[in-house]
Amino acid sequence: MGPLVPQEIIGQDWNMLIAFIIGIGFGFALEQAGFSSSRKLAGLFYGYDTVVLKVFFTAAVTAMLGLLYFSLFGWIDLNLVYVNPTFIWSAIGGGVIMGAGFIIGGFCPGTSVCAAAIGKIDAMIFLAGVVIGIFVFGEGYPLWKEFYNSGNLGNPKISEILGVSGGVMALLVIIAAGIMFWIGEWAEKKFTREEY
Amino acid sequence: MNARILTLAVTLLLGVVIAMVPENTTKRYKLTASDMITEVRDGSEIISPEDLAHWIITKDPSIQIIDVRSPDEFATYHLTNAFNIPIADILNDDYVDILDQGVKMNVFYSNGTMYSHQAWMVLRQLGYENNYVLQGGLNYWFESILSPKAPSIYSSDEEIAKYDFKKGASEYFGGGGAEIQATAPATNTNKPVIKRKKAKKAPAGGC
Repeated sequence: MGPLVPQEIIGQDWNMLIAFIIGIGFGFALEQAGFSSSRKLAGLFYGYDTVVLKVFFTAAVTAMLGLLYFSLFGWIDLNLVYVNPTFIWSAIGGGVIMGAGFIIGGFCPGTSVCAAAIGKIDAMIFLAGVVIGIFVFGEGYPLWKEFYNSGNLGNPKISEILGVSGGVMALLVIIAAGIMFWIGEWAEKKFTREEY
Repeated sequence: MNARILTLAVTLLLGVVIAMVPENTTKRYKLTASDMITEVRDGSEIISPEDLAHWIITKDPSIQIIDVRSPDEFATYHLTNAFNIPIADILNDDYVDILDQGVKMNVFYSNGTMYSHQAWMVLRQLGYENNYVLQGGLNYWFESILSPKAPSIYSSDEEIAKYDFKKGASEYFGGGGAEIQATAPATNTNKPVIKRKKAKKAPAGGC
């Protein structure tokens, strides 16, 4: 029966309302996980706090298993689930810019809004930077249009490239997540900071 | 037991299970067997040769005529403006945009109706709309359009009007000569409504 929105079991208007409610839930979860502290996010890069890694990978593993089991039970047609197209060069370029912004600013776009909402001044300045960035990108679009659209690989999946089934890929991701969590906790012990 | 060890164990177990089951058992087919039999018995997929001839003559832009025979047979003879999708290639990704759309109406034909019906059934099972089958295939087309038999003098006016149309159509398609102009009989208004396909909206998102 799923996915519900592309098959229009849920209409566009309800889609927006549901997205709004889920968005509030997402923001709440981010705040509760402590992601509105830029020190916590920067901690991932210095190794003293790897909660960010653990939260996002737990979310990814949960969603992945949920989708695969839903598909197994025939509740969702994975062929109808939208997969973002990969533009390899702009993805790498954008990743570098975003990573640099992440380390310098201590927020990712989502968490900056979250932190600004609870009154963090650094997050508000970060948001202003985001808006300036969007403006510069939009106005200068003809300059980087070619780069932006370069290296289109379509909608590849890593499992398809490796030639394994989605289920085997899922198991590999779970194992990788487990190993990363273990390394993360080891790093937290090694690079402990008392106050941050 | 430690809660994190338990969580990890459960997740790993779920991962092992999902790695071992066959992938994507999602029901790909949209119609149940009983839905299908209802549609087949209903016969709403059938397009009469007269209707098709009328649409070809009036150059109806919403019609796509698809020949599901082999390329050789297609090269030998095919209907005006038809294009060839051999039945073996019907599921080829290249043709999805033609076969699964909400703008035009596809009419399949083959020599008889076996191949065209097979193509229609497979595509109907996939949930594609707007596909139809030419009644009687090319054989019946030759018989009814290219060499129509004159109705008896006791026939109704409607029958005679139909015959007049076929004679005209026959001339149009290069069959036997006839002096009567093609005039569309009133029966040619029963064109099925093309079902608009809902556009898929691309969702976007990120952190």
